[in-house]
Amino acid sequence: MAGHAASDSWIGARLLRKEDARHLYGHGAFIADIRMPGLQDIAFVRSQRAHARVRQIVKPPDAAGRVFTLADIGPLNILEAGPELAAHRHGPYPALSDGRVRYVGQTIAACMAPTRAEAEDLADRVSVELEELPAVVDCVAAMRPGSPRVFDSWPDNAFITSTVNEGNPASLAAAPIRLRRQLRMNRQATVSLECRGSLAYWDHRLNELVIYLSTQGGHVKRLGLSKALGLPENQIRVIAPDVGGGFGGKNRLMPEDIAVAAIAMKVGHPVRWIEDRREHLLASVHARDHAYDLIISADRDGTLLGVEGDVHIDAGAYSLWPTGSFMEASMASRNLTGPYRIKHLKLNTFTVATNKAPMGPYRGVARPGACFAIERLVDEVARELGREPFDLRRQNIVTAAELPYSTAAGMRLDTGDYVASLDMAHDMVGLPAIRKRQIAGEPNGRAIGIGFAFYTEQSGHGQVEWVKRKSRVVPGYESASGRMLPDGSVIFHVGTQNHGQGHETTLAQIAAHELTIDPARISIRYGDTATTPFGFGTFASRSIVFAGGAVAKSSRGLIAKIRRIGAHLLQADVANTRVEGGAVHGPSGKISFAEIAYAANVRQEHLPAGMDPLLDVTATYEPTETGGVFSYGTHAVVVAVEPDTGVVEILDYVVAEDCGTMINPMIVDGQVQGGIAQGIGTALYEEIPYDEAGQPLATSFADYMVPCAPEIPKVRIGHLVTPALATEYGVKGLGEGGAIAPPAVIANAVADAFRSIGASFNETPLTPRRVSEAVDRARRAKGAAA
Amino acid sequence: MTEITLHLNGTQAAHTVEPRQTLADFLRDRCGLTATHLGCEHGACGACTVVLDGQAARSCLQLAVMCDGRSIQTLEGLRADPVMEVLRRHFHESHALQCGFCTPGMLIMGRDILQRYREPDAQTIRHELSGQICRCTGYAGIVDAIVAAGREIGTATR
Amino acid sequence: MKAAPFEYLRPASVAEASAALGRNGMTTAAIAGGQSLLPMLNLRVAFIDLLVDISRLDELRAVTETPSGLQIGALTTHAAIEDGKVPDLFGGLLRRVAGQISYRAVRNHGTIGGSVALADPAADWPGCLMALGASVRIAGPSGARSELVSDFVQGSYSTSLAAGEIILGFELPRPGASLRWGFAKVVRKSGAFASSIAFVVTPGRSAPVSVVLAAAAARAQACPETAQHLQRGTATDEALRQAIARDLAVHVPDADAYQQRLHTATILRAIRDWRAQ
Ligand SMILES: Cc1cc2nc3c(=O)[nH]c(=O)nc-3n(C[C@H](O)[C@H](O)[C@H](O)COP(=O)(O)OP(=O)(O)OC[C@H]3O[C@@H](n4cnc5c(N)ncnc54)[C@H](O)[C@@H]3O)c2cc1C
Ligand code: FES
Ligand code: FES
Repeated sequence: MAGHAASDSWIGARLLRKEDARHLYGHGAFIADIRMPGLQDIAFVRSQRAHARVRQIVKPPDAAGRVFTLADIGPLNILEAGPELAAHRHGPYPALSDGRVRYVGQTIAACMAPTRAEAEDLADRVSVELEELPAVVDCVAAMRPGSPRVFDSWPDNAFITSTVNEGNPASLAAAPIRLRRQLRMNRQATVSLECRGSLAYWDHRLNELVIYLSTQGGHVKRLGLSKALGLPENQIRVIAPDVGGGFGGKNRLMPEDIAVAAIAMKVGHPVRWIEDRREHLLASVHARDHAYDLIISADRDGTLLGVEGDVHIDAGAYSLWPTGSFMEASMASRNLTGPYRIKHLKLNTFTVATNKAPMGPYRGVARPGACFAIERLVDEVARELGREPFDLRRQNIVTAAELPYSTAAGMRLDTGDYVASLDMAHDMVGLPAIRKRQIAGEPNGRAIGIGFAFYTEQSGHGQVEWVKRKSRVVPGYESASGRMLPDGSVIFHVGTQNHGQGHETTLAQIAAHELTIDPARISIRYGDTATTPFGFGTFASRSIVFAGGAVAKSSRGLIAKIRRIGAHLLQADVANTRVEGGAVHGPSGKISFAEIAYAANVRQEHLPAGMDPLLDVTATYEPTETGGVFSYGTHAVVVAVEPDTGVVEILDYVVAEDCGTMINPMIVDGQVQGGIAQGIGTALYEEIPYDEAGQPLATSFADYMVPCAPEIPKVRIGHLVTPALATEYGVKGLGEGGAIAPPAVIANAVADAFRSIGASFNETPLTPRRVSEAVDRARRAKGAAA
Repeated sequence: MTEITLHLNGTQAAHTVEPRQTLADFLRDRCGLTATHLGCEHGACGACTVVLDGQAARSCLQLAVMCDGRSIQTLEGLRADPVMEVLRRHFHESHALQCGFCTPGMLIMGRDILQRYREPDAQTIRHELSGQICRCTGYAGIVDAIVAAGREIGTATR
Repeated sequence: MKAAPFEYLRPASVAEASAALGRNGMTTAAIAGGQSLLPMLNLRVAFIDLLVDISRLDELRAVTETPSGLQIGALTTHAAIEDGKVPDLFGGLLRRVAGQISYRAVRNHGTIGGSVALADPAADWPGCLMALGASVRIAGPSGARSELVSDFVQGSYSTSLAAGEIILGFELPRPGASLRWGFAKVVRKSGAFASSIAFVVTPGRSAPVSVVLAAAAARAQACPETAQHLQRGTATDEALRQAIARDLAVHVPDADAYQQRLHTATILRAIRDWRAQ
């Protein structure tokens, strides 16, 4: 008899989500929903200047014990953040200003009152005297010799510089086609709809600090908080309630978190800080902000040869714990060959400190910038050669036969069929029909453009990859602790952190598949360091690979024991049993999990001699190949552009993607559509500009444009399924991919609309002004040439 | 502090409020009705949308004092509402939520749309949903859900 | 993001409201729909001592059609106009403008009076009312007065409203039978404040064309050169562009090249819309 007939039906099922009901009835429990006796609110006094010495902080005389400066909440330890590389400079980032402020919005003091409104009243009465210093606001100018410094003791403003030199870049000088382009992806916010927040209190009974945190990973935050507060980890409990989106923005230890925890330890009653939208835009994780100055080289036949140039990352004033922002530069450069057979690479990267809010991860991390750069360059080469950009992609892209393929930048692309993805998108969007439509022209004077962009998305990368990145924590595994209760129902505790991805559903599907029981009998729990095994949280498209694998492994451990008990109770040889439909079947009958679990938990006399009671298996999981598995896809878009106003309308958006085996296709489509919506935000709408003095110019939704339903099309999604070889079930992560290609594909489409005049669209977001100005420049250049 | 009387989710009660307190803070902090979320507090995201005298309203842009004598419904008070029941089911089936933070506001707005339009099409719904931010779903599931709910209600009342 | 404290008063009459608003030594503000004032208070970019709730004053609510035109009470909401609850003497212009302001939940409460009183340069109603030749009725400590909206709105967030004065409503002159209008608006995203708005209105067969550009300068501006060209009826696109350029040079002198293109395109689109009627 076969040992284990895992039911196939749950993997790949469009199972509706278990987490929906509470939200649909308004019972979601987000951090701001938590009420506690004695709870007080915190409001922060923040810097109004980009760079200044804090001369004096004057507390209102009647506010004793309610206004906290750094001296009042200390002593605290400063955590070193960023990669563990000697070349990476450390700029200490205190929870509250230590006498210097380096960006508008930096925390200076914390004010506590029974309500947030009163805390803000108090904050308005704290007077702060600043002595303004010159601000560094442009990351390219910041590297010029005369630039003012963000940190006085540094020889220049770079956190770190690095070079990439692969193949034989010297050979590129002789290439027949050499195009130099400057591209820029501007700074934006992450904008989870729920802002950040933390609530902390000292639990006097347990003698521990309890911190509710809207976070993507509680265990790592506990590690950081423990170091910062000098409090042992066994006296810190971090709980993540429902988390209203994160997208990277809730995956760093932030100064407010430390300050709130420290204040809770001083005052003895619960305190909370709920970030408001202005604070979010001002001082939460900022993202993107890449500047590229690149030369792409190609042969006349269209063969892409190499990429050379500079990559500047505007990292803001500080490194956020744990990883800082160097990953932006390293991931950008490692993705700059795209999926193409580009052999030669020579890049200088500069991760630059400026007087802006610190940069952190945001869905896609660095790859939207890199994809934008390389995919724009490919289109520019095509235009130079008079070729159809789609054909040039097809000519240069790595074929299925070449996979696995190591790119010049050092990525090992694993499985898939990239050409098939290109072709699928081509057919879905209907390239020939659009070309015909363009010839006919539009009655309303708009120009129609079509664009393609290809992306890969590294996911499920483990130890090898993170060690290579010199990461301070190495998220090389995930854990799951599965427990079958006496009635045969099951609870898994995992170390990842669902915040919209549907883990309660997909992880239950995996467990249901392994355990051959209905997902309704399985609960997935997460978000509490007191109950879950150590794990790293949810980011980097890792959860389905890692937590999915850990749940599978834990389930299999449970099944092994269940089978042994079942065989014993059936008086059969284990080898002669099989597991099916929530029961162990033997030659002479079957016995349900419930009966087995009852024995294992409360009637040990029925267990085989010498067997330990309980059905409780904690497993850790890492894929067999830890360089990562790569999801990929082609985005294609049709736009209509009004040249004078510069307004871009998306007429059609298609995706042909491959994320390996899909556990739940409904959730896959949801991630793709949602990621693209954010990518469209990056491409067309979202930006936090700064003026020359370092003042941010988008600090409310009046100025910061988040696209709504009229701006976001329904994306048509096509799937290819090439299972990964290194993961359970062949899954690949796919949380970020949707957000990677939209800036590239939309810019390519807009450029296509104006290819006859050679307009270039190399800066995001493509605001109406930028679009119209690019058209105007090209028209003038053409006029001047003619 | 000012005395007010509110008809809240079908129950009339008197309260004292500070004039500056918004309806949203009043509902959340004073009444424990936390289905109403705050995503911006300046009228631009829709997470705080409630029903005020039968019309959709941003509860962050209403003062509790100004609601004196008026009737307010939050998602909690629409548990048994027949339109809401249909909407909820379609939100679930169309994967119209991920993190769930926008969901209460979206449901209230969805109901408002269905009260004003019979079997609205996707384009109408998209226009009507402008100003309701969902950062997770990319809106497709939400629009699908409201279209489907509209059809179901339309068919039932044809 | 919570408002600083203030006192609150709900007067029973316009006279009481006017007296409260005129109180000495206090920063006072009327509140109608609150859809502009509350964001400013929440963001603490506006601070007041006394908030005077005028939202229940019936005198500000009435909508009446008269032989000479339409009277719209200041408290009329954008949504009421959008939904056609206000008699449509203007071939659907009011509904079209109302339906594109902000978002439905804001339109349900935001009022036309508040919009004009605030005089946000990018607001929709001031320009629309100017194009229709509307006047504003005001009550104040020294009695009632009436003024053309084009005179009332003086600049960015600046009007002729004096301390203690309240907008009662607007009078829109009845148009002739062959009214024609065009409207165009460019926004960064749906419902956001506009980067350019244009109205073209001919209230009747022999009536003069009115062209108004908003969201361009400190206040909405008439574009007389463009209007004259349209009036003559012979204008070529090129001649129109030149006329628009002259209007922009006078009224939006700070416009850079992009803004000139943008506003030109908006006006031209409104003209196309107008011609199509
Ligand atoms: C997210 C968002 C987007 C928006 N987008 C747009 C847009 O695109 N276009 C647009 O035009 N508007 C827009 N608005 C503003 C909206 O139209 C407001 O409703 C309107 O501007 C003000 O009306 P209110 O009744 O809400 O005024 P309130 O906020 O109550 O008051 C505004 C100002 O007018 C004064 N005031 C109000 N009524 C009177 C009166 N009768 N007499 C004297 N003074 C008075 C108040 O003292 C205050 O100074 C937007 C608002 C929001 C929240
Ligand atoms: S919280 Fe009220 S609209 Fe955003
Ligand atoms: S589901 Fe997260 S904001 Fe809509």
